[in-house]
Amino acid sequence: MLKRLRQLPRDSRDTLFLLAVIAWVIMPQLGNLPWWCSLAASAILLLRGWLAVTARPLPSRWWLLAVLVLTMAATLATHKTLLGRDAGVTLIVVLLALKTMELRARRDAFVVFFLSFFTMLTNFFYSQSLLTAAAMLVGLLGLLTALVNVHMPVGKPPLLEAARTAGWMTLLGAPIMAVLFVLFPRLAPLWGIPGDAMSGRSGLSASMQVGSIASLALDDSIAMRIRFEGAPPAQSELYFRGPVLSTFDGRDWRPLRSGIAPRMQAPSNLQVLGAPVTYQVTLEPNNRPWLLLLDAAPVKPALRGFEATMTAELQWQTDRPIADLMRFTAQSYPDFRYGPARRTDGLQDYLDLPAGFNPRTLLWAAELRRDPRLAGADAAQLIAAVLERLRSGGYSYTLEPGIYGQHSADEFWFDHKEGFCEHIASSFVVLMRALDIPARIVTGYQGGQQNRLDDFWIVRQSDAHAWAEVWLAGRGWVRVDPTSAVAPGRIGSLQRLLAPRGMIASALGNVSPALALNLRALWDAVNNSWNQRILNYTQGKQLDLLKNIGFASPSWEDLIYLLIGVVVLASLCGAAWTLWERSRQDPWLRLLERAAMRLQQAGVKLAPNSPPRRMAGQLAAQWGPDHPGVPAIRDWLARLEAQRYGAPGARRISLVTLQRELKQLVWPK
Amino acid sequence: MKTRLQKWFEARLPLRDVVTLTQRTVYILPTGPGFMLGATVLLLLVASINYQLNLGYLLTFLLTGSAVVGMHVCHGTLRGLTMSLIAPDAQFTGASAVIGINLQSQRRSTRHGIGLALLGSDHWVWADVPPQGIATVHVAFKPRRRGLHRVPTLTAETRFPLGTFRVWTVWRPAAQVLVYPAPEAGAPPLPPGEPRSGSASAAQQQGTGEYDGVRGYRRGDPMKLIVWKKAAKADELVSRDAAQAQRFELWLDQRHTGAAHPEQQLSRLCAWVLKADQLGLDYGLRLGSLEIKPGTGELHKRRCLEALALC
Repeated sequence: MLKRLRQLPRDSRDTLFLLAVIAWVIMPQLGNLPWWCSLAASAILLLRGWLAVTARPLPSRWWLLAVLVLTMAATLATHKTLLGRDAGVTLIVVLLALKTMELRARRDAFVVFFLSFFTMLTNFFYSQSLLTAAAMLVGLLGLLTALVNVHMPVGKPPLLEAARTAGWMTLLGAPIMAVLFVLFPRLAPLWGIPGDAMSGRSGLSASMQVGSIASLALDDSIAMRIRFEGAPPAQSELYFRGPVLSTFDGRDWRPLRSGIAPRMQAPSNLQVLGAPVTYQVTLEPNNRPWLLLLDAAPVKPALRGFEATMTAELQWQTDRPIADLMRFTAQSYPDFRYGPARRTDGLQDYLDLPAGFNPRTLLWAAELRRDPRLAGADAAQLIAAVLERLRSGGYSYTLEPGIYGQHSADEFWFDHKEGFCEHIASSFVVLMRALDIPARIVTGYQGGQQNRLDDFWIVRQSDAHAWAEVWLAGRGWVRVDPTSAVAPGRIGSLQRLLAPRGMIASALGNVSPALALNLRALWDAVNNSWNQRILNYTQGKQLDLLKNIGFASPSWEDLIYLLIGVVVLASLCGAAWTLWERSRQDPWLRLLERAAMRLQQAGVKLAPNSPPRRMAGQLAAQWGPDHPGVPAIRDWLARLEAQRYGAPGARRISLVTLQRELKQLVWPK
Repeated sequence: MKTRLQKWFEARLPLRDVVTLTQRTVYILPTGPGFMLGATVLLLLVASINYQLNLGYLLTFLLTGSAVVGMHVCHGTLRGLTMSLIAPDAQFTGASAVIGINLQSQRRSTRHGIGLALLGSDHWVWADVPPQGIATVHVAFKPRRRGLHRVPTLTAETRFPLGTFRVWTVWRPAAQVLVYPAPEAGAPPLPPGEPRSGSASAAQQQGTGEYDGVRGYRRGDPMKLIVWKKAAKADELVSRDAAQAQRFELWLDQRHTGAAHPEQQLSRLCAWVLKADQLGLDYGLRLGSLEIKPGTGELHKRRCLEALALC
């Protein structure tokens, strides 16, 4: 088999190699593509390989056109559109496979190469892991090898030679990559991106399905950085408000969608007490149209280029998604009151429960109301009783809450008795509503970690949290965090649950605990540094880097200047190197050449590579030995000759002197 | 305009038979695929920005870096190369003349994919120059007119390694190539011999047809009379007809070619010279005022042909 491969003519061999590289580039995609697309791409590549091995002619253009139209139709049927990310990826993979059927001219080959580069990028839509990066590095090397091979027109050079050239080029290109990667300003998306672009991205979302925040808990990336002016509030008071979710359909929590425009809604009646806390927020782009501010911020923070408004639920919303790092100062009052003082019709929305869900919770609520111990109790007492139940009823806080079915509140209260904050908050709000207490869920971030070195508080995605707000007569909306009743450690300290281990890791752990531990630690460290240094390299980090270099208040313009500076410096180095390389020519020969040039300008005909003596002779023959200037030139030429070929012991005239004298010579005209 | 510019540019180039390419004589420009790669990189960059893919940035910049390095590799493939012309032999008009060129590299690595061609033609001859070695390439050209011509301007180029840049140089060799007239195809037979000056029987012999001045071998013919060239082609031995050769001289005369156009006359004379040489005859050449005394042999032939080329 190997021998047969080696004996293939060059064309077939090159085509097979290119096909293998393309297959490698497409392979990681297969899981994400529609099944027909994976099938078609594989079939086309296999067919093309067979055609190459058997040296058969390629199919006509009409066939390809027909297949193309068919795949377009299939794409339309699968994705309902030809635009957007997923449809685009499907089309590109098919186009790439089809284009290999049309490798006729060199131009076709280039189209295949450049389509492959783009296909490589589309892999990153789905995964940016270290493994994907390694696979694509191999793919890039393969493509460059194929490209270099195309440009070795003589004979049948071994592919290894092309691979070596490609490898060197990539290796030498790596420093350029590093500089560009570090200094190229991270811009906001240039235009609105399709809705599916950010799927698979972490961060809070506009709705909450039970289980969605738990996935955030695994994400250690930074959501924002806070710097307090003055003393920070207690960590347990750090509630950063995000979307407020009030509508429950049994599965998802969504914001209240009243038909009334936000401006016409009931005012929030916000009253603040005490002294404000002032702080600076560096918000990482979250691609959502909201800010996350400490409860409660009555004053609009000064934002550049954004318009912000506060909803009646105290959430700050912006006029468009925040797709870029943003820095602003805000002011919050930890002590505040808001919401209607007396019961209004508007509160009815916060009592709605979907029919047919959580019957046992409803039943329990009815029991609680009938409980003689709670007879005549007001809402505050009922809440206290429920929280007591959470504290003492054997409930626990976990990252592996198991699978919740249709009646999520029932299952939490009576079956699993363990859950993540969203399970707890959701079940709590359902119970409250069953008890006729208006309640809703608030999502956001709770806590954060203070960096002792620079006094910044870092809020991570893993600090995402969900808590409840209940309405109490005379007091308005009051925050209740049922999670703190279950796990007091979750609120106000650094305790976080550790992410669970994967299956392979636990299997390894059973075989050789020490080795597995070491391997896992190593892998974690590598993976973490990959995540932190490469994937989380944001504009914030770029600006921090500039700050470390010594820029007082860095901006992205400074990045551009720095980048230009590096490019100019590199060019200067290149120019210096060129000069140095030129100066490697023998200075004596250079002097001779300059003399020859001047003589030729003076009309003296010289044979190439004439020595100084012959030049002198030609000069005398052309202009006569006594022509003005000629004797001096002949003398100079004689000394030039002596400089190199003079007797060993004689005193040598220096080249510098000769060069100076050359400039003073008068040339006949 | 463009051709004038090109001519002016060419005229500026020094004439050299050996040229070592330096930064100054090597030019570089991106090719069509180069612009395509640029567009691809731009597209990758936009996608990375819009989808905020840091790994996409890495890919984009690595590709950019490799392309930049490729540009230097491409330039370095020609830079430092020494090209020297192998002095070309004289040629006939219309026949393909071959110019041999030695490509010499001092580098420790192979220089791949160097192409040579006449400036303006599209027939590339490709070669790899081994490390610290020499590769020889042959470029063909068809001289259009007879005379002493300069070897046409040559160009060398490479697109190695990525094809995104074209690096080239233009080289005007100093060497000249002598171009003889094209021998007439199907030329009439050689003219009859002329009687030696002072011979009486000249009139008798005129118009007897082909002068060949040879006859079959007869026993006793001395070795030096045998026409070996002809004998090699035929099965039998052929001798010079000494008697006839003594009486007649073969003169190839421009005035008696029977052709009207001067170039056609030269062309016919050229064919006759070759024929007479092939037959091993003594022949003389009269070109206007120039007269080359009858003789034979390679040197004589070359003298005649040179006279035909340069008159």
